[in-house]
Amino acid sequence: MSGELLWWLNLLVGVGIFTLLAVSLNLINGFAGMFHLGHHGFWAMGAYAAAWLTRECAGSLPGPLLYVATLGFGMAVAAAGGLAVGIPCLRLRGDYLAIATLGFAEIVRIAIQNLPQETLGGSLGMPVARVLMAVGPDTMVAFRGLTLLIATAACSLVILLIRNYIRSAQGRRLLAVAQDETAASLLGIDPTRPKVVAFVLGASVAGLAGALFAHFQGFITPLDFQFMEMVKMFLIVVLGGMGSLSGCVVGAFLVIATEQLLNRAPEAIAEWWQVEFPLLLALMIVFRPQGIFGRREIGDLFRRKARA
Amino acid sequence: MLDYLLNGLGLGAIFAFIALGYTMVYGIIKLINFAHGEFFMVGGFLGFFALRDLGIERLPLPAPLPILLAYFCALTVAALGSGLLAVVTERIAYRPVRRAGRIAALITAVCVSLILQNLAIKAWGADPKAYPDPKVWVDVDDLPARAESNLYARRVATTSTGERVESEERVVVEGEAIDRLRLKSEGRGEVYRKVTIPRETTRGFVILALVLWTPVLWFLVMRTRMGKAMRAVSEDLDAARLMGIPIDRVVAYTFFLGAFVAGVGGVAYCVTYGKIEPFTGFVPGLKAFIAAVIGGIGSIPGALVGGLLLGIAESVVPYMLRDWAGWRAAFAWKDAIAFALLILFLLVRPTGLFGRPLRVKV
Repeated sequence: MSGELLWWLNLLVGVGIFTLLAVSLNLINGFAGMFHLGHHGFWAMGAYAAAWLTRECAGSLPGPLLYVATLGFGMAVAAAGGLAVGIPCLRLRGDYLAIATLGFAEIVRIAIQNLPQETLGGSLGMPVARVLMAVGPDTMVAFRGLTLLIATAACSLVILLIRNYIRSAQGRRLLAVAQDETAASLLGIDPTRPKVVAFVLGASVAGLAGALFAHFQGFITPLDFQFMEMVKMFLIVVLGGMGSLSGCVVGAFLVIATEQLLNRAPEAIAEWWQVEFPLLLALMIVFRPQGIFGRREIGDLFRRKARA
Repeated sequence: MLDYLLNGLGLGAIFAFIALGYTMVYGIIKLINFAHGEFFMVGGFLGFFALRDLGIERLPLPAPLPILLAYFCALTVAALGSGLLAVVTERIAYRPVRRAGRIAALITAVCVSLILQNLAIKAWGADPKAYPDPKVWVDVDDLPARAESNLYARRVATTSTGERVESEERVVVEGEAIDRLRLKSEGRGEVYRKVTIPRETTRGFVILALVLWTPVLWFLVMRTRMGKAMRAVSEDLDAARLMGIPIDRVVAYTFFLGAFVAGVGGVAYCVTYGKIEPFTGFVPGLKAFIAAVIGGIGSIPGALVGGLLLGIAESVVPYMLRDWAGWRAAFAWKDAIAFALLILFLLVRPTGLFGRPLRVKV
């Protein structure tokens, strides 16, 4: 029974982490209209920053406080990365921006692998000390439950933050720039500023997801942050609908649950899940290219019903 | 230094081969064909099987001809096979989403890439395989009394499940006396020795192939009816359709041509590195895409120049950093250096070397 419960908790934490990633990617790709393919780089930066701080400060701070500090540090490092990439690269457009950001993420991965092993563990990976609470066979359920709570809280906060940002004056400017940069700049909007802000905000949320992931796994390797994960995030965003925040939550749940369920389905199905998974997504794209929600939110559906 | 430069040129020629397919497909339907690296990988595998199983080296021809012929056949099989695969993929996966927008097409391409990669794992296993060395078959009677190199023979066995398994067996070790009677009585009247192709030869052939292919492609695109149709479609798809150009055929032809060239590149890459696995396509695919972007995506000469530049940069820049700047780990970082150069390059010339600047109509 506890095994089953652990499996579900694992799944749900995974959904939480990917919701964070998808929401932040959606801010950049969906709302700001930039074609960014290097989100897994920011994710890895956040995770490794958190792991590094945990190792350096273990014992000198009380556990939960250190936990929170590493989340903040992961966000800060990823945001700094976002700023460093964003300012030069946001001059690029479309596919050129995509390949530049993808190149950035590859640099992050290669750097982690090739730095001396005692800094970040190299390709062997890096253990992350359990600082939130002691984790053992008895407390596994409690640990995963607690992480789920934290992840849920983080998702709610981030979604609220991004929703409010989009509705703020600057968010409106961002949408205008995304729709038509020339027209927006003719109206006196500086196109660079909102784009950089959105990019840095998205990067820092990915860093938060990375820090959560590092603490949840207890061990991270460069293989955890491969391009495949970026594909997953992107699929979640497209599936839920570019420019829909609630779509991200639903999409994250669908994608992560499908992946996990196919993985433990009867052998005949499970053996082929790596083929079935992309196949399902390709079919989804063919039959509903705008995603589940399009640009709408869950709330819009209810509102329309009330009016009718 | 010169050696690194030549190595880079050889590698760059392979990147150029892959980049051509990217750039042609992109030029026509504005799709980053993520599965292109997988066409390349399948080409490598087909070449592998052709070299291992066709047995062309056994043809009774004067010395270097059988080996040359074997490689020629491997290249042909690889090129045709991956070309056909591309046409089928285009028909099944890309045509239905062509009208659905660029993001949908891109996602489909990523999915196709994953599916092909995993099908290759299912069919051929995930472990790297050593690319077969060319063999020189000899009659036992023609051998000197003392073996000048290791000699091998094929052994065919039937397993308990009735499956035919072929394996290789070393029958004579270098320097050993050859017992002709024993070999013949064991049914090994013919044995072969393996030839290792020097790196310089492979490199030379790859560059030669690129030099030969470039005018062919140029001719196909600039001087044939189909090439004219391709250029028209890339200019304006809808207008071309209205002019009666059969879009579907032109797109299929483009996919075929791109993957055909990628198949050649796949065999060349695997011969250079001596191994093949289902993940072979990913990194060269990514790099070739970068090469296409550097050259200006959509431009054929751009893909050639971009590929060569990237190959040279990847080989020479780490060399300079190691030997001139004293950074000993430079070669482990060569991919990172390539990507950093790409980003820097894009900042200076955002549309690549030969790319047309984007016109913005207001």
